[in-house]
Amino acid sequence: MPICPVCEITYDSWDQVSDHMLKFVEKSEAKHVMWLNHNISIKSLNQKELSEKLEEFFSLNESLAMWIRRRFIERFYGTEPHPFMVAMQNPTKGVLLGYVLEHQHFLRNWVRILSTIIYRSEYDDVVRYELENMTTEFLGFEGKPSHYELLIRMGESLGLKRAEILSTPPLPATLSAIKTWKNIAETKGWVETMAAMHSLELVSDRSLIKDGATIPYFSPKILESNEYPDAVKNFLREGYEADLYHAGEALRLVEKYAKNPEIIQVIVLKSFDAFAKYLLSRLERGMMLDPLVKA
Amino acid sequence: MKIIVNGKEAGTKETGCAICGSDWGSYYAKVDGEELFFCCDICAKEFSNMIQEVKNRTNWNKIDEVNIRGNWSMGRHVMARSGVQRYYFYITFDEDGNIRTFKPE
Repeated sequence: MPICPVCEITYDSWDQVSDHMLKFVEKSEAKHVMWLNHNISIKSLNQKELSEKLEEFFSLNESLAMWIRRRFIERFYGTEPHPFMVAMQNPTKGVLLGYVLEHQHFLRNWVRILSTIIYRSEYDDVVRYELENMTTEFLGFEGKPSHYELLIRMGESLGLKRAEILSTPPLPATLSAIKTWKNIAETKGWVETMAAMHSLELVSDRSLIKDGATIPYFSPKILESNEYPDAVKNFLREGYEADLYHAGEALRLVEKYAKNPEIIQVIVLKSFDAFAKYLLSRLERGMMLDPLVKA
Repeated sequence: MKIIVNGKEAGTKETGCAICGSDWGSYYAKVDGEELFFCCDICAKEFSNMIQEVKNRTNWNKIDEVNIRGNWSMGRHVMARSGVQRYYFYITFDEDGNIRTFKPE
């Protein structure tokens, strides 16, 4: 169903959505204007042009999973990749510490949100998938430390004390992003929540390169380099190997159980907006610790 | 004030919003004595806050030019000029248009 990506009201046609959005644009209403700026064009369009662009933007030419994948690449790995990924091609200590101090909050929130999916989904394949994800992210599995533990060890290897890492509160942009994801979990269905969260794991899916990503999440040379402590390499390697499966399998389940693709598309875009700001927050923390960190 | 956003002149309905370059909407606000075009009130607030912050940090009375490179998602690298003096900085904003990060470069 054609949908206003801001209000989430559904209409019978994209012409109606276009009319609705242009009414808000006339009033310079920030949310509608910003959505158009961020997703369609910074150049204004007439009613017919906008209707066509919206239909084209939301059309699922291949599949919902592929639509999410392509939008993720556009947003984070396009011709101007996100500055955090750029910084991760040759990360300084400040960049990595910024990553540690903000990401611990992301990961703690991560498992709490996934637990709402388990609570609300009646499908065993979904519950099994989420339990496995939570285990690898937060608890550890078969003697292997969790992703969360590896993150803290990375921080320790770079000179921070565990207690110092755990007691550092999140920066406002991290907190704001976490609120967005909590709000999605509390107000949307479990499929939408699953899409919003697991689409973010595409960030370290190295197969994005074959679909047009201009750079990888981090330079794989880091994994072989002597410049970085083993704990840094262990943390990065874990995500490098796990998220390829994590994101792909989750999006397969989203595709399987999605009843209303348009609302999922809209929620995923909101999650991407929060993620973009959150990634900047990692760099902002890095700047606070190290004047050489640049965005 | 001369305003350049990502390489193009901005600040009127024809040229686009003084901070993001968009020509959607029709919001006008007076900044530094000049009526400027913005696509929405949040952009107007961001621009006003940015100009005020530069003035506070430089003690300039007037800004003759701002050259902005970047966007909401990446943050913005800015050159502000008053006469022959130049000031370079990186800036990001929160959802309400308040300054979140300001780092001289």
